[in-house]
Amino acid sequence: MTTAARSGTDIELIAHLLRRAGFGATWEELQAAGDLGYQGTLDLLFNPGDPESMPSDIIRRYHPDQSITQIAPSSGSVWMYRMSTTKTPFEEKIALFWHRIFATGQTKLIQGKVMLTQIEMFRQFGLGSFRDLLVQLSQNPAMILWLDNQDNHKDNINENYGREILELFAMGVGNYSEQDIKECSRAFTGWTIANMPYMSIRMRNNTLRPYGYVAWQYKFDPEDHDEGEKTFLGETGNFNGDDIIDIICKNPATARFIARHLYHHFIADELPVPQWPFEGPKDPGAIELMVDAYFADNYSIGAMLRAVFESEMFKSEATQYARIKSPVELVVGTLRLAGGFDWPTADIFKATAACGFMGQALLAPVSVEGWMGGDDWISTGSMVQRINFASATVGDPTKKGIKSIINQISDRHPRGLVTPKALVDECLELVGSLRVEDDTKEGIVTYAREQGDIDPRTDDGVDKIVSVLQLIVSTREYQLV
Amino acid sequence: MATETGARLGLEYRDTNGFGAAQGGRGYYLPVDLAVRSDGRIYVLSRGDAIQGGNGIKITDIDHNWFEEISSRGIAPGQFISATAIAFDASDRLFMADEALHRITIFDADHNYESHWGTEGSGEGEFDGPSGIAFDRDGNLLVVDDKNQRIQRYTPDGKYLNSFGSAGDGNGEFSFPWGVTVAPDGVIYIADWRNDRIQRFTHEGKFIDACGTTGHGQGQFNRPANVAVDDDGNIFVADWGNQRVQAFDKDWNFQTSIRGAGELSKWAAEYIDANADEKEARSTFDPYPELDVNDPHEVSARTEPYFWDPVSIALYDDTRILILETGRHRFQVYEKV
Repeated sequence: MTTAARSGTDIELIAHLLRRAGFGATWEELQAAGDLGYQGTLDLLFNPGDPESMPSDIIRRYHPDQSITQIAPSSGSVWMYRMSTTKTPFEEKIALFWHRIFATGQTKLIQGKVMLTQIEMFRQFGLGSFRDLLVQLSQNPAMILWLDNQDNHKDNINENYGREILELFAMGVGNYSEQDIKECSRAFTGWTIANMPYMSIRMRNNTLRPYGYVAWQYKFDPEDHDEGEKTFLGETGNFNGDDIIDIICKNPATARFIARHLYHHFIADELPVPQWPFEGPKDPGAIELMVDAYFADNYSIGAMLRAVFESEMFKSEATQYARIKSPVELVVGTLRLAGGFDWPTADIFKATAACGFMGQALLAPVSVEGWMGGDDWISTGSMVQRINFASATVGDPTKKGIKSIINQISDRHPRGLVTPKALVDECLELVGSLRVEDDTKEGIVTYAREQGDIDPRTDDGVDKIVSVLQLIVSTREYQLV
Repeated sequence: MATETGARLGLEYRDTNGFGAAQGGRGYYLPVDLAVRSDGRIYVLSRGDAIQGGNGIKITDIDHNWFEEISSRGIAPGQFISATAIAFDASDRLFMADEALHRITIFDADHNYESHWGTEGSGEGEFDGPSGIAFDRDGNLLVVDDKNQRIQRYTPDGKYLNSFGSAGDGNGEFSFPWGVTVAPDGVIYIADWRNDRIQRFTHEGKFIDACGTTGHGQGQFNRPANVAVDDDGNIFVADWGNQRVQAFDKDWNFQTSIRGAGELSKWAAEYIDANADEKEARSTFDPYPELDVNDPHEVSARTEPYFWDPVSIALYDDTRILILETGRHRFQVYEKV
């Protein structure tokens, strides 16, 4: 039976939105979203229901290592399960965004439990007020030990966190002084973890002995907090960390800095962050749009993004396919296209490892600056990894998502034979309304012609459909989002 | 069901045995089951992982003596990929279930590999993830066939006898059952994992009763993993998701609930003594810090003495119970009082 399918500009726009706010949509998901329309789909993104992802008890029982998440492949895989099976991918995209900005790494922290707790915090606070998020971040045990705030004492400050919250997390270079860093650091003295000496030395010694890692608990130590007067960004008072965050958040530089990060992650690839102090944003109008939303709605990240997604700028042709997919976007998007995971499997480790081979090891950013993104994602080696992973994943016709594509093509051609051009057109539609350049399409059609007309009801036909899908996920356009 | 009574059975903490040994050697890594041999030696099934290792069956005793380890990770005869359970027969042969290889492996009383049997499938004599094993009063092996939602019974050499149970939440139905125990009176106890209850069956496999609903109150469970029953019929449940052990009398009257009180084991203390910097730092260690979370899994992750993923329970000379924790690579010893 032929299914009446939605197609056209609306679907392409919704596909664009769901690629940016998620990891792309399957044909079935696009049809459902089409019923809601662009605005309805957008509203749903901001009011998600239950993630309905792989239940944690199931994961923990069949992967005991992913219950205690002692090593990075285990903790990364917990997140990979969530991203590849959730019904609310926008939450994961937001968590991924903050993971790139507030880059924290298990490589130093050793244990994964605290990393996953941080990611959960990003889910909960990532679309809310930036002020609340920064407070949570500053009290997050993983961040505290990542940037050594446990060593930031009232009599001997450690400036690491005080510097990075200004430079990397909230304002950017050029918007504060060295003295501001010292004053900021003083305000965060006493923001530490319970049992700091023992937990700290175990991290340094990289030891799970005697009984595995003990996950860290935030603790404020008033005895070690500097109660003196501080002058920060022109204001003076007996500031605690919360007061410092208030001052940071009301500064226009903060709004512009976060807006530029959002632009880089959700709209189009920007220059690498270290160049930002010297080069203006690609699209000042887009930045101003987000800055206005930030101040109009209590520093709300969600309001900034909603303003973007509702703008004509976001919907324009110029914005579509203007970013290079990050490795995680590519891996998760391809897994979801193929149907995700129904049950715990060792394949999850392959998917998690694939992200690392492509240059974005989950929970293990390359440095405190996170991943630069953009052109940095692409190298000869990473392209081979990308194509191999995507091609292998869609090359399995037993996977639920691939089977669904094959069935859809079969349903549309009850008499069997599908012409090469129709096959390519339908495959491009069924992988989530992917638009490719004319010469790319001609190349795939040429390949399909060599195969001749196909009958999707036969094994040979299935093989040929799968081979066309493999070509599609190997195209330049599939690398873009 | 699960009502309270006057004179209660108590459980008092006595000891901790274990040490995180991801790279092998004395200790355990991600242990999932334990069994006590007739001579009192304690066998701990250290499942380990595919990256660090720590895979094997580790042998100790109640006095922390360390003997040896057998088996390892792999698909060769005598090895395992995802081992789930061990049990001794009356001749001290050791049986091991593997949910990845869908097979039961047998070692003789001297730990030599003897044979294995089982294949993947849903027919008679086939498994889809064998999880718990125990011998019935006739010396036949009960195998919890997890994803086939049934219990199968075999002769020790692998000849299929019969099965009971199917998918569902009614009497005698299962949702991903995990552990199985045969009480001294021959009654079969099944940890009906995703139905959050324990079911009892006659020796023949006829449903007797069930205890438990979903929750964290007395007599409620969150994914119970395993059960042990003493000579008096008292029942001890590894309430895995609630990170605790609950005890009941033979009529399911609630007796007590314990959260764990682990201390440094002999092996752990020797390690700490040998590492001066960690010893000094640990001297100020508060094992029960004030927490800002309530989720039992998260609380256990942050509180070293508490059970973390208590997965299996075994009786020791009928006066003590051994509680194995996957997350902390140890077992705690409690005495009945």
